[in-house]
Amino acid sequence: MMETAAKKTAEALALAKEIATGWFWSLETEEPEPNRLDIRLTSAEELVTIVTALRVKRLGTLSAITGLDPGPEVEELEVLYHFCTGQAVITLRVPVPRQAAVVPTLSAIIPVAEGFERELQEMFGVDVSGLSRPEHLYLPDEWPKSLYPLRKGFDPALVRAGANGGM
Amino acid sequence: MQTGQSREQFTVSIGPQHPALKEPANFLITVEGEIVTKAVVRLGYAHRGIEKATESRNWVQNLYLLERICGICSHIHATAYCLGVERLARVEAPPRAQALRVLVAEMERVHSHLLWLGVAAHEAGFDTLFMYSWRDRETIMDLLEALTGNRVNYSVNVLGGVKCDVSPGQIADIRAGLTYLEQRTHHYLDVVSSDAGFLQRTRGIGVMSRNQAEVLGTVGPTARASGVMRDIRIEAPYAAYGDYPVELILETAGDLEARFVVRINELFACYYLIRAVLDDLPAGELATRVPRRIKPAETVSRVEAPRGELFYFLKSNGSDMPERIRVRTPTICNMTSVVKLAVGHQLADVPMILAGVDPCFSCNDRMIVLEKDGQKRGVTWDALRQYGIAIYDGNSN
Repeated sequence: MMETAAKKTAEALALAKEIATGWFWSLETEEPEPNRLDIRLTSAEELVTIVTALRVKRLGTLSAITGLDPGPEVEELEVLYHFCTGQAVITLRVPVPRQAAVVPTLSAIIPVAEGFERELQEMFGVDVSGLSRPEHLYLPDEWPKSLYPLRKGFDPALVRAGANGGM
Repeated sequence: MQTGQSREQFTVSIGPQHPALKEPANFLITVEGEIVTKAVVRLGYAHRGIEKATESRNWVQNLYLLERICGICSHIHATAYCLGVERLARVEAPPRAQALRVLVAEMERVHSHLLWLGVAAHEAGFDTLFMYSWRDRETIMDLLEALTGNRVNYSVNVLGGVKCDVSPGQIADIRAGLTYLEQRTHHYLDVVSSDAGFLQRTRGIGVMSRNQAEVLGTVGPTARASGVMRDIRIEAPYAAYGDYPVELILETAGDLEARFVVRINELFACYYLIRAVLDDLPAGELATRVPRRIKPAETVSRVEAPRGELFYFLKSNGSDMPERIRVRTPTICNMTSVVKLAVGHQLADVPMILAGVDPCFSCNDRMIVLEKDGQKRGVTWDALRQYGIAIYDGNSN
């Protein structure tokens, strides 16, 4: 049974690799762990087509979206889309410029993405275009604008200032 | 009086106080008469900033922080975290520790499912079942307390293993407790599948087909009640799940009754699994050493919480603190299905549909700075620490 699981994982990763490198794109891929494949997209524009390709091949379900901020000195944020099937985890790594951070919504293809995307938008300041409900899901309505708590440079003192000034 | 002429819509705000259960969330339900035409959810009322807080605490401190994301499934959060950190640090917990993690995880599942059974029965107005199931839940709570010293945050895990062992006396107690619970669970299965009044509230309500469950991305018992074969313990065994028999419990009806039946049948599977672990507990050490600093790496840790797949993404940066920890809890996946399923039902069915996915808002909400009008409410970390020191100094003198 362990062997078949390992075989299935290898097959899933091979298929994902084929999509990333052999279909329309020649994207960089990496296998950081035996059960994981990271696909580096060059921009957010490729996201929807690649996700559609994964859906067509029924390759994994979207388990989570993670925002990564390497620090204020780096110009790019990174958004990770984790697709899981069995033991295999396929991660689409999307670079987004810090100053114009926008990714398209996946919620039309994958309804559960909406919750993840709204969290990404309010916590990381990555705008998700096309969301049907762009308002806050977790943060209070009066939370200061342009203040994203999960960015590395976040200063809680600004929330106090913003909250005092705004209310 | 003319009826059926005007189609007036009315929006009812349910919550954030007590939206069917004793946790905060807000639902804006649009109704036409009694029929729900639209449902919108607003979360965040229990958001405590835990993901952010992990970035300023070391790997060991985070274990205790993350365990407190949720009171009902504290052990599974700690397990997901420990397995991830161990993978980052390239160490493996000893076999006995892995088996004990499974043991406590399954006991936690028993307590969680019994708790849910009570809450869901209460939503249906069946308070007798609520009281009985919570009385019986005390059996497993007492066993957990005897084993770990705590009823809720068991703190069984440490990085690299577990901190408590199970004695022969405790094994006998657990077996006796399971015998009692098994007999009670048979009764509950009988009640939820035969009581006519109860079935009126559950049969054919909130039906979700297998395709819908897959498209909506549901997880855990909610998905399995619609026939979706998703259980991380079987798909991608972690800890010692590969060594013990885990039964996949499936139902196909996809209604509320099926969600009851799935969870109750899972209780039987839990009892079976707990006995299997106790029968075949590997000997050996309880923990291994994990380095304080962890080289830069990333990993994904997925476990099956009582409510479904729990997802952790961990990134280390070479220091003794994580670079980023992302927690995706099962409730947010199932919440999409609640707002879709509610449409077309009677308003009175909404609490049952909500309770049907066994939502856990504390899991969902993890972040906020508590403050109003510039005045801090609550206690600062330092003040709390000083308070603790003062208390313990006072006690020791």
